[in-house]
Amino acid sequence: MASHCQVRVYAPDESVAREWSDAAIAEVRRIESKYSRYRDDSVTAAINRAAGGAAIPVDAETAALLDFASALHAQSEGLFDLTSGVLRGAWDFKAQRVPSQEAIGKLLTHVGWSKVTWLAPTLRLDAGMEIDFGGIGKEYAADRAATLLMDLGARHGLVNLGGDVRIIGPHADGNAWKIAVQDPRGNPGATIAHLEVSHGAMATSGDYERYFESNGRRYSHLLDPRTGWPVEFWRSVSVVAPIAIAAGACATVAMLTPVDRALKFLDAQGVRYLAVDAVGHQHSK
Amino acid sequence: MKTGSILAAAMALPGMLPSAHAQVTVPNATLIQFKYLYYRDYQDSGNRITVKSPALYLLAPISESWVFEIGAVYDSITGASPYYHTVLSGASGEGVEDKRAAGDITVTKYFGRTAISARAAYSTEDDYKSVAGGLTLRHATPDQNTTFTLGGGYSSDQISPADGPAFTRTKTTVDGIVGISQVLSKNDTAQVNLYYAQQRGYLTDPYKALYGVDQRPDKRDQMAALIRWNHYFEGLKASLRTSYRFYHDDWEINAHTGTVEWAQELPYGFTLTPSVRYTSQSAAFFYYDPVYDAALGPPFPPGYVNNPNGFYTSDQRLSAFGGITPGIKVAKSFVGGWSVDAKAEYYEQRADWRVGGDGSPGLQDFKAQLYQVGVSKKF
Repeated sequence: MASHCQVRVYAPDESVAREWSDAAIAEVRRIESKYSRYRDDSVTAAINRAAGGAAIPVDAETAALLDFASALHAQSEGLFDLTSGVLRGAWDFKAQRVPSQEAIGKLLTHVGWSKVTWLAPTLRLDAGMEIDFGGIGKEYAADRAATLLMDLGARHGLVNLGGDVRIIGPHADGNAWKIAVQDPRGNPGATIAHLEVSHGAMATSGDYERYFESNGRRYSHLLDPRTGWPVEFWRSVSVVAPIAIAAGACATVAMLTPVDRALKFLDAQGVRYLAVDAVGHQHSK
Repeated sequence: MKTGSILAAAMALPGMLPSAHAQVTVPNATLIQFKYLYYRDYQDSGNRITVKSPALYLLAPISESWVFEIGAVYDSITGASPYYHTVLSGASGEGVEDKRAAGDITVTKYFGRTAISARAAYSTEDDYKSVAGGLTLRHATPDQNTTFTLGGGYSSDQISPADGPAFTRTKTTVDGIVGISQVLSKNDTAQVNLYYAQQRGYLTDPYKALYGVDQRPDKRDQMAALIRWNHYFEGLKASLRTSYRFYHDDWEINAHTGTVEWAQELPYGFTLTPSVRYTSQSAAFFYYDPVYDAALGPPFPPGYVNNPNGFYTSDQRLSAFGGITPGIKVAKSFVGGWSVDAKAEYYEQRADWRVGGDGSPGLQDFKAQLYQVGVSKKF
């Protein structure tokens, strides 16, 4: 994974710690290679290659992820969409060019979970469509690795995959983990707060990960899959929830939602959060 | 934005939570528990034994892999125990008054999915001392779905009756257990345990021996098999716990015990658990019915003069009977690790409640009440 990842765990001795962390890392690698869109042999690549053809069957784990993505699409009124990756064809953050509405409009015809035929266990995409588990894969891997560690006997530790953190349990002395929240306008490593988490998970979505500025306007990678254009309601949203994939999904959906509605949504989901809006005000619960 | 829980949808993914029944794991919190028990049993002829019993229990993980448990209980026992059959001591109210103090310590060392526990216990009362120790090994498979248990214990008891001629006798018990627990599904677990125990030494009731007739073999080999099945009903938020136990010993007692509990989760952290237990047993081969020798009269069994050194008992516990125990328990847990519980049980034992209805005749029905309250705190 192209991000900073760590497994921290208290173990009876070094060899156990090694055994546990090796198992956790192997699980993360398994998920990464299974769902990477950069690998020809991944499940994602196989699904995307079959677009426009017959429906193809998927394995149980993939089916569960598709079910979750489908539920999330419905609950977020389309803000979370597994097929939105196609829009990357218009938004080139390296070239820093604002695409034409025409280019975006053309790609939007290939975006939309509602165009997908998902009849478990078979999936069919229309020609030109793609799916991408990038929006949930990292959090899913953090949860799976942490669960594996708990099943092996670990009681204190965490799995951190690029800022998406699943806690195994507090420090051995019972103290909560202090998880830094990146300052969305500061240098990498600059923080605005530390959230104390002893159980559960924390995930952050921010507009600072990939963006460019053009004519004084900021264009981030946070695209509304319904319009194809970036939204600028929030600089970052950090969510604390019982599991990382739920925290990450809540953060992603909130990022794409205007402030008032986003706060209502987060409250309704019963999660803790620290959100920084477009003008830099912090909202937390 | 539509309502609906994203968390609930996410929980349907595989591998989001550790195995529901992870069974060999180091406890991660210190627990202190206090319980107070009140028990009384009685028959139509009058009250028998009353026991008041406060107990303290501490469980403390002292490192990543060591756990320490200590328990202490103090019983005060008053009342009267029948001389023979269900005949109580005279109207003078002469009865038992005894105090029992007992303590035990258990130390457990965890090696990953394997745990070894060593236990030592001591108990003392006016006429009785007991020292016991044991070792238990538990091992779970990597998925924690299967747990094996192997245990063994030894106890040495010393009996010095407070009434009658002074003597001291000893009794030793060696026992073993082998068991397996299996997670069958997310909501089902099953367990099978086999027990074996060998008692050697003085197994007679010294008070019945003094006032009645009680002479028992000096050896007793016991075995039992327990099958347990628990099912959690997600929709109802309730657990059904069922078990069946078969017991056999070489005194020719066979007992069958079935238990059903329904643990219902309720709002505000309450759990309500009604339960019922039914047991049915046959009599020991040397139990004699309340029919007495024509010449000697009670408590002597017919033919006693010709065989005064034979085995005899009139102890109702060794007769053939059926017993039913309805009970109810309510528990509430609070934020911050506190929880309280209260339990009430009623027991009634009758000869004709035995399976088939042919229990030992001529005995009064035996009844008991048990009340227990507890409070505990986790840190």
